[in-house]
Amino acid sequence: MSSTREVYVSRLQAEHLYKVFGRRPEAAVQRLEGGADRDELRADGTTAAVIDASFEVEAGQIFVVMGLSGSGKSTLLRMLNGLLEPTAGRVLFDGEDLTALSPRDLRTVRSRKISMVFQHFALFPHRSVLENAAYGLEVQGVARAEREKRAAEALELAGLGGWETSWPDELSGGMQQRVGLARALATDADLLLMDESFSALDPLIRRDMQDQLLDLQTRLKKTIVFITHDLNEAMRLGDRIAVMRDGRIVQNGTAEDILVRPANDYVASFIQDVDRSRVLTAGSIMDRTGRASGADGAATVPAATPLADLFASFARSAAPLTVTDERGEPAGVVTRDLLFAALGEEPGVPAPRTGEAPETGEIAEAGEPAEAATPARADEAEVSARA
Amino acid sequence: MPRIHFGSWAENAVSWLQTHLSWLFDVINTVLTGMYDGVNAVLGAPDPLLMAGILAVVAWWLRGLLPAVLTFAGFALVDSFGLWEAAMATLSLVLVASLITLLVAVPLGIWAARSSKVSGVLRPALDVMQTMPAFVYLIPGVMFFSIGPIPGLIATVVFSMPPGVRMTELGIRQVDGELVEAATAFGTTPRDTLTRVQLPLALPTIMAGVNQVIMLALSMVVIAGMAGAGGLGEAVYAAVTKVDIGGGVESGLAVVVLAIYLDRMTGALNQRVSPLGRRAAAKAASAARGFAFLRYRPGTAVATVGVVVLALVAGGMNLARSGDDGQNVAAGANVGHGRGIKLGYFPWDEAVATTYLWQNILEDRGYKPDVKQLDPGPLYTALAQGQMDLQFDSWLPTTHKQYMDRYRDKLTDLGAWYGPTSLELSVPDYVKGVDSLEDLKGKSAQFGGKIVGIESSAGMMGTLNDKVLKEYGLDGEYKVVSSSTSSMLADLDRAIKKKEPIVTTLWSPHWAYGKHQLKKLKDPKGAWGKGEEIHAVGKKDFGKDFPEVTAWMKDFKLSEKDLASLEVEIQNGGKGKEKESARRWLDAHPGLADKLAPVRH
Repeated sequence: MSSTREVYVSRLQAEHLYKVFGRRPEAAVQRLEGGADRDELRADGTTAAVIDASFEVEAGQIFVVMGLSGSGKSTLLRMLNGLLEPTAGRVLFDGEDLTALSPRDLRTVRSRKISMVFQHFALFPHRSVLENAAYGLEVQGVARAEREKRAAEALELAGLGGWETSWPDELSGGMQQRVGLARALATDADLLLMDESFSALDPLIRRDMQDQLLDLQTRLKKTIVFITHDLNEAMRLGDRIAVMRDGRIVQNGTAEDILVRPANDYVASFIQDVDRSRVLTAGSIMDRTGRASGADGAATVPAATPLADLFASFARSAAPLTVTDERGEPAGVVTRDLLFAALGEEPGVPAPRTGEAPETGEIAEAGEPAEAATPARADEAEVSARA
Repeated sequence: MPRIHFGSWAENAVSWLQTHLSWLFDVINTVLTGMYDGVNAVLGAPDPLLMAGILAVVAWWLRGLLPAVLTFAGFALVDSFGLWEAAMATLSLVLVASLITLLVAVPLGIWAARSSKVSGVLRPALDVMQTMPAFVYLIPGVMFFSIGPIPGLIATVVFSMPPGVRMTELGIRQVDGELVEAATAFGTTPRDTLTRVQLPLALPTIMAGVNQVIMLALSMVVIAGMAGAGGLGEAVYAAVTKVDIGGGVESGLAVVVLAIYLDRMTGALNQRVSPLGRRAAAKAASAARGFAFLRYRPGTAVATVGVVVLALVAGGMNLARSGDDGQNVAAGANVGHGRGIKLGYFPWDEAVATTYLWQNILEDRGYKPDVKQLDPGPLYTALAQGQMDLQFDSWLPTTHKQYMDRYRDKLTDLGAWYGPTSLELSVPDYVKGVDSLEDLKGKSAQFGGKIVGIESSAGMMGTLNDKVLKEYGLDGEYKVVSSSTSSMLADLDRAIKKKEPIVTTLWSPHWAYGKHQLKKLKDPKGAWGKGEEIHAVGKKDFGKDFPEVTAWMKDFKLSEKDLASLEVEIQNGGKGKEKESARRWLDAHPGLADKLAPVRH
């Protein structure tokens, strides 16, 4: 990871974002910085929705913010395009401070550089599918013929070619969200904000849409911030995942980080339901020091292979598998014991973390312990909640 | 609790406004009168049946064939009632009032939807506008704008404003927040969000508000009729005050026809103007079954062509017809030389009778008399302001004392033409043994212990309660039931039909004496006091503007017998035919016109 950071220009940065609703929000931020706690503020009638959130999203990455309702994830997302003004902190996109823009400039950024996909689709019921998809272009002032052509392309891309003249209320939920996606893609914005975009869809459709998004992403290379409450979805989509609780980011890392090294009990309790065999890869559990005996050279797998795909091989033979890196060179081995150990491992009890109250998961203090508990990620300091 | 003189403050405010801002009211008056006259001229110009056809085409466009047929039938009915002009005047008033209301209400509603503060301030103001009885601002309206359609228009605007504002605000606030957020997230400006997302989606609710505004405006026309707004309101009001059941039903039905038409059309307009409405209509059409031709609705272009063609035909017919609008005045009798003279009356029978009698006589003398019905208050105000020229029914020195005191310098008393009047209690002549007030004593059981009175505010009611009953020792025995003149007359009519005993308050002159056989109860003790005289009263400069008429008025006298027969003739002639009835009566009294309005050579 450290090497890729130098390759990509950092595209989206959030620096110490706070959002407090209620009276005298600035004073509330000071109290939070001074160590006050969310419940204390609530007693005074102010609500701290987002507390000291910092993160970076690299260009072309899917950054997933995962949390339960009320964790502040939607508020966080709306600060990224200025729908909500942060009480404190900055949002930088391409080096430009969005929080310092005039309303007019902010509107220009929204219409050209950032688009958004909503949980309940938010399609305009008085516009046809094509007109909906062309909405962002209409705002930009693109001429009708041009915008209809581009909107039709976007619909094609979203898998909805041929439905241009239909109306939103004639489409199923999944199709409506495709229109929502097409509307967001049509403007050619670099940054795509997706607010629980697939949560309202039924499971099969949701899976289709996830696949479609991943497929699109391999071609379009957008920078995507995706909000969800579903950890499986987060794991499937996210290059990086930030877990939020009570307004704070409690852990920020790759799917594997979260699964293998949960920052606290809260995160650990989440990952119990995750199908580890589909998230963990051969590369993540391999024994780097071991080398296969070499007698059976055919049994190699790439490092990115999910564990679920290793069962067939071990069913045929107990012999260890050689894991190869991107260049095809042997990087380590996976034995049957390692595989079973990785899947059987009780997730959630993060290494020695004494004196930590598991229920509250207080990150004002917990930030450092979380990092300390996962020294493997020390080199990825930017992902920590207290970066 | 000390008396808070809110009323007198308001009165002072009104008079201050009247003196200092009259120029503003004049401007408003001119603009609104122009709008009203313009619309009325357009609506009133075509032949009634052609206009009904135009309205039917609109109904066809908006709703389909059957509603169009019903529309034509309804408006043809209005025409057959002889209420066409009144209906078009009312339609003009409603349309202009609704237009003004919406021009104010929709922006206010938008503003209120975007700012909770504005909404909070507007809400109580709207409540006041909606609940304050319209009469309260109708009279100041007359002071500011004089009688005519404008006070009624203003009252209508005030009264129908609240639903327009509220529904607009509601409609915009109802728009799904996620849609507004989506628009904002794509960089839409607040104004474009309003026009591209909020207004189109709020349109069905706003159109429901428009519908409410129009219906409320229509419901105000009767009240506006009392301030001289004319139209169906005046027809209803006149019929009711004269206990003209048939006329009341006919003019009431005409209001209903207008109401249903306007309601259905504005309801359907939503389907044409709002994108959501068009969607819904298209869906419904594809689902419907049955006779296709019933469902056929002409497109907007076809409907426009239809309306234009009918309008052109109407215009052509008007051109062909004009040119024979002469007046037949005997050569030597043309004193007026086409001068207009405005006669006002309130719906008291002797006022109606003399006004229409003189309308005929003045026409014969070459004047162009214009006759208008008003309430006493507005009429005196109008005379004082010179908006009216003449009225015939000033009861002096008592009944109309307050008006004369108020406008003494601004009116000309043209002398009494009838007197003395008398107030009395009357019984039908089949009630035997009751000829005098003294005879009522001990007979309360026969009359159910009640005397049927008129409006409690009337002067004679006070005299009856405070003086007459006491004088004859009847105050414990009889109860005076106050109602209204028309209810009293209706009750009298009912009792006579069933030959029941009844005592009513009545006065002379009154046509009831011509219609029914009634006995005036004698008043040997003179408790009712002395009678009054009925004067003709003109505006301040009447003597200068109309010297001949002034001279005729000085010598104008009418006996009780003549007046009663004239009133009965007008009663029998029916509503809307007063002028013809008076003409008939005049023809039956040859030589009278020359006696009343002699032409000097």
